[in-house]
Amino acid sequence: MSVKNVLAVALGIMSAIGGFVDIGDLVFNTQAGAIFGFQLLWVVVIGVVGIIVYSEMCGRVSAVAQRPVFDLVRERTGFGAGLATLAASEVVNLMTCAAEVGGVAICFQLLSGLPYRLLIPLAVLALAVSSWVLPFRWLERVFGYLGLSMLAFAVAAIKLHPDWGHVAHGFVPGSHSGGSLMVYLYFVVGLLGAAMTPYEVYFYSSGAVEDRWGVKELRLNEVTAMIGYALGGFLSFALMIVAGVLFLPRGISPQFLGTPALTAEHALGQVGLLLALVGILFAVGGAAVETSFAGAYNLAQFFGWRWGKKERPAAASRFTLSWLAIFALALLLVMTGYDPVKLTEYSVIFSVVALPLTYLPILLVANDHAYMGANVNGKLANFLGVLYFGLILAIAVAAIPLMLLTHGGQG
Amino acid sequence: MSKVTEVDIALSILDHQLVDGDGENCGKVDDLEITGLDGGSPEVVEIIVGGNAWRFRGRLGRLAARLSGNAVHVPWPEVDSVTSVVTLKRPAAELRLNRGDDRWASLVGKLPGS
Repeated sequence: MSVKNVLAVALGIMSAIGGFVDIGDLVFNTQAGAIFGFQLLWVVVIGVVGIIVYSEMCGRVSAVAQRPVFDLVRERTGFGAGLATLAASEVVNLMTCAAEVGGVAICFQLLSGLPYRLLIPLAVLALAVSSWVLPFRWLERVFGYLGLSMLAFAVAAIKLHPDWGHVAHGFVPGSHSGGSLMVYLYFVVGLLGAAMTPYEVYFYSSGAVEDRWGVKELRLNEVTAMIGYALGGFLSFALMIVAGVLFLPRGISPQFLGTPALTAEHALGQVGLLLALVGILFAVGGAAVETSFAGAYNLAQFFGWRWGKKERPAAASRFTLSWLAIFALALLLVMTGYDPVKLTEYSVIFSVVALPLTYLPILLVANDHAYMGANVNGKLANFLGVLYFGLILAIAVAAIPLMLLTHGGQG
Repeated sequence: MSKVTEVDIALSILDHQLVDGDGENCGKVDDLEITGLDGGSPEVVEIIVGGNAWRFRGRLGRLAARLSGNAVHVPWPEVDSVTSVVTLKRPAAELRLNRGDDRWASLVGKLPGS
């Protein structure tokens, strides 16, 4: 590999790490840590492997057949089921986008001291202008790189000197303490949902087409998905560990989005707090951009419109208006004053319900020789793909009953 | 199409991406007009795109069709090739496709830098 290639891979991995964590991971990992300590770390591992398996698969389908996810959803499930999936995914995308926008406004508020309501329109304006001005690659990278400030949580996790024996124990599923079985299962579903959010797959596969990936980029796809997301998973571990060390013994429930940042301050002082807030700001800001684009990609791919940042905005006017409209609707939703943390919980749980119809067409096409030629799924990809599809079906059925039974994890 | 190949219409054409002669996306194969199904030799006559082409595509399709305009009919001889996408011979505008983007282009064009 040439120096240039190594650099490209390193840059891709860095933006994947910074882009891994979003408001769903932030909320569910810290709340799980505050209630169950390190006992749910194993779930993060399962979730990260899941997103790696399906991202790699849809990246490969995009690179080989130039077919992003919603193209396949329409083609394989037909118009009716495809339209239902589209409607569900748009609702979830909008809720997630609104939650992330709320997160950006809260970070602005904590950094500036200005009123939250005033900062919401500013947050949306800043996100929409960045999305308008920056080329696709830079959009992905600017947010990804600055999101890397969240590594402050990893440093904090080490400096807080957790009992590493207990941490290691958390990677083995088993008996639990600290909350009821139902609450435990609710967090299992929530953590899996937060790690495997469908918009990541929509964005990743459309991004591969935007970046003009071809068969030559298959290795890049494997490496970026595997290493980037695996390292991103460490940030999720760190969030759960710091919450387990600081919140659990004190009975603190991180119901406010700024609370996790205090763990970094506790361990690293003012610099830690600042890094954590900047990291969260760009991680959730990047996710807001990704969800608004994912919504527009899905619509355009379902109806066959011209799409992508590669197009002139006026030439792909329906696509352009779609992502602008999603930002505008997210603005309205957050301006109602609904709590972004609650919105996050709902968006993650509902996204779990939409997962099977997103992942099934990917699995089917990745196995289709006519499209994929020599690059069809191997035995390992199929074994994991089918295994995870079964898991996704199970959590999709369980998600809403668990949310209702536990009052959103409150017990 | 010059070469006759056996194609599973439901899986290989219906709901596939339409690409125009300039390589731009221009809708989906929303429905097909087929003649000769009553005993004769069946033949695809035209591709139906958008609007009320959805009215035969299930309950949700009927609802979507009611909310949108007329469909565009593209005669089959306009098709250049069928791969994972259906490629047409001429630019979309000549076949009255992609009018949705044209309709909104002037609005989006008012934004700086578009």
